[in-house]
Amino acid sequence: MDKPLRRLFLFFALLFVALLVGLTYVQVWAAPKLKTNPSNTRAIEQEMRVDRGLIYSADGVELAVNHQEGQDFLRDYPQGDLTSPWLGYNSRQYGRAGIERLYNEELSGQSGLLGITSYWDQLLSKTHQGADLKLTINMKVQRAAAEALGNRKGAVVALNPKTGAVLAMISYPRYDPNKLDSIWQDLNANPDKPLLNRAIQGLYPPGSVFKIIVAGAALQTGTVFTDTGSVMAGGFVVHNYGGNTYGDHDFTTAFASSINTTFARVGVQMGADTLAGYAADFGFGKQPPWSLGGATSSFPAPAGMDKAHVAQASYGQGEVLATPLQIALAASAIANGGRIMKPYLVDQVLDRSKKVLQQTKPESWLTPLSAETAAMVRDLMVKVVTSGTGTRAALNGVQVAGKTGTAEIANAEPHAWFAGFAPAADPQVVVAVLVENGGTGGSVAAPIARAVIAAALGL
Amino acid sequence: MSLRNRELVFLIPALILTTLGFALVYTQKSSALSLTSLTYGALFLVLFLIAHIGRRFLAPEADPYLLPVTALLSTLGLVVLYRINESLALKQAMWLVVGLVAFLLVLVFVRDLEVLRRFRYPIGILGLLLLLLTAVLAREVNGARLWVDIGPVHFQPGELGKILLVLFFAAYLVDIREVLTVSTHRVLGVPLPPFRYLAPLLTIWALSMALMIFVKDLGTSLLFFGALLALLYVATGRLFYVLVGLVLFLAGATVLYFIFPHVQARIDVWLHPWRDPSGKGYQIVQSLFALAAGGLFGRGLGQGYLKFPSGKTIIPNLETDFIFSAIGEELGLVGAFGVILLYMIFVHRGFRIAVRARDDFSRLLTTGLVSIFALQAFLIVGGVIKLIPLTGITLPFVSYGGSSIVANFILLALLLRTSDSVARKEKALEQAPRAAGKQQPRKPTIEAA
Repeated sequence: MDKPLRRLFLFFALLFVALLVGLTYVQVWAAPKLKTNPSNTRAIEQEMRVDRGLIYSADGVELAVNHQEGQDFLRDYPQGDLTSPWLGYNSRQYGRAGIERLYNEELSGQSGLLGITSYWDQLLSKTHQGADLKLTINMKVQRAAAEALGNRKGAVVALNPKTGAVLAMISYPRYDPNKLDSIWQDLNANPDKPLLNRAIQGLYPPGSVFKIIVAGAALQTGTVFTDTGSVMAGGFVVHNYGGNTYGDHDFTTAFASSINTTFARVGVQMGADTLAGYAADFGFGKQPPWSLGGATSSFPAPAGMDKAHVAQASYGQGEVLATPLQIALAASAIANGGRIMKPYLVDQVLDRSKKVLQQTKPESWLTPLSAETAAMVRDLMVKVVTSGTGTRAALNGVQVAGKTGTAEIANAEPHAWFAGFAPAADPQVVVAVLVENGGTGGSVAAPIARAVIAAALGL
Repeated sequence: MSLRNRELVFLIPALILTTLGFALVYTQKSSALSLTSLTYGALFLVLFLIAHIGRRFLAPEADPYLLPVTALLSTLGLVVLYRINESLALKQAMWLVVGLVAFLLVLVFVRDLEVLRRFRYPIGILGLLLLLLTAVLAREVNGARLWVDIGPVHFQPGELGKILLVLFFAAYLVDIREVLTVSTHRVLGVPLPPFRYLAPLLTIWALSMALMIFVKDLGTSLLFFGALLALLYVATGRLFYVLVGLVLFLAGATVLYFIFPHVQARIDVWLHPWRDPSGKGYQIVQSLFALAAGGLFGRGLGQGYLKFPSGKTIIPNLETDFIFSAIGEELGLVGAFGVILLYMIFVHRGFRIAVRARDDFSRLLTTGLVSIFALQAFLIVGGVIKLIPLTGITLPFVSYGGSSIVANFILLALLLRTSDSVARKEKALEQAPRAAGKQQPRKPTIEAA
């Protein structure tokens, strides 16, 4: 009877060894695949338990906070729709977007920045805490931009030209991220695309605001001349589109009054290659240099352009397409001595005790113009506001520089543009405004820019 | 160190683990240390100290490892239950008290296994009745009819029924053992006993099939059949019975697979859980996710993701059938290995008792009880890790469930009783020849009925 007993024990021992092997397979070998299995929602649920990092603006306004439901932390956005274009959302059902998505590692405390603290949290079984974000956004400017734009489809971008810090960025229509779960279907079905951040994802013909780039190129290449501070158009006689005749005029007038024919001739004289080269130097054809991404502005390939194309492109029509952010960056080159800084939205990553874990340092991106050329274009832009098409952007006591744009669209109202900065002598803020099918830049976009500049300068 | 003191010493780590476990879970729940953890620790100390002292008096020569292993398993179960649901842990603690009382009662009243053998037929009939009771009275839970409600108490008669039937079959096989091993003809060179002696085999087969059909309980059916087959094998030493038994069982199971949807569903879910991971496959898939989340070292007691914010457990039946998944997630592969090793130690000690036993009944009874225990642990752990199809049975001493706890403590008491009497007989044998001045060869004596 001993033999069967031993055999039986051996059999049970084998069964238990099979358990050990099977268990090792599941918990170690197959674990990575099981963890990433699409029907495994544990990761999402787990992240809902993290006391997600707070997000606040440069002027200390809370933009994203949490409330607790059981063990879960759920997001609240106290500023509602005002911040949605870049802040995005953090939803259990629909995932994440915007800053919430891009900085998820920091916000959910997975990033190495928090270092050993997260291990301690685990050991001491504390609620896991994410890192906070301090943004560059100034809510006064943001609010002013939203109010000035109102219920018109379009976008406003305001930057600090010296650092690239984004002071305000608004897009309309937008959405209230607090109500995301109930309005998701409508948002996606809406033909006006409220989920689209027009400031960085909308591509529009820039119209005459593109003349900032063309003027910069013309002055830098010597196609037009400077003489003791005034710019001469070299004796061009221009017959303008629409039957207006300006007679003999200098380049300053051509810029201030946004005379297309002059720019067409200057453009043709420079040639497609030079134009395309300068467009690229200003950032066209390049991915926006930040984590928020956005659409790439484009200038047509010079090889395929005939004279008519080049002429059209010289005043920002034809196949030239730009985002409002790109136009703001182009204007910032003029405001910042010819240099474009990389834009950024997150100033600091901090822990809950306000200790700074990561500080964004301003970085330069492109240098399309020399400081001298930039100064000359700046003077042209001052004239636009003092006596040209952009007078409605003028402010009392502050010298505003700018350029209007009225981008012609087939069978529709033109898009209204304005790009400018102030104070002209020492620019603190660059603004780009776009109103879809809004009318002329001077009458529609310039007043919006004026309000945003006033808010940014604390006027 | 004497055997008895050894048991006491081995109980100490179990005590420490319990107190620490409760302290850990408690601090996580309320982020403050309170007396609750110590209360549970003290309760545990008193309970198992009583069990230990009781055994010291009632079965002084019994195996010193079984009780500490039981203590570890049942308190680990208590800690995990406390972590899942405090009120369940409280109920389980009460059941633990009831179980220990049953344990002591068995030790008090069953002083001699011979008594059990004498009452084999009443015991067998009672066992059958208990199973029958389940089939007739039970309400259906999760597709199986296991629970019987009598007043406020609902229990699973099958848990006790299994043990009684093992008792009966052990005694019965002793009766007919001689005839079973006599072979009269050979088929293809294989010696076969007369066909009528296949009757016991056919009986247990029929019984297990009936369990599957009427009680819809695959787990108990398989457990029952496996344990009795093991008994038959040990009693006769013939693999032939095992082979015939397996063929019969497989044939029966195959037929049932095509006839009964509940059998089919279990197998299909096991084969293809990923076809419907949020529906039919949900439970097993979530169990695998939990185990994967635990990894090598686990997420720590109280750190696992076991419950929805609503308080419902993510894996249905987490506290009973799937408690091993919770252990795997929170204590990791390391902790889960520990649990399996505890079962291995238990089974090993059980087999040691069987090997040392001098009489057939003790030997067969021990074999049957240990087989039930081992198979139960294997079936449920194998089920939740998807090694084998899932059968809803409890993890001995760990899962939540009064009937299971009480039945397993009775099983433990019977093992200790056997162990004690085996050791006493050894002692007597050693002393008797010494007195006579000659050495007795170690040969098992067969007691015929």
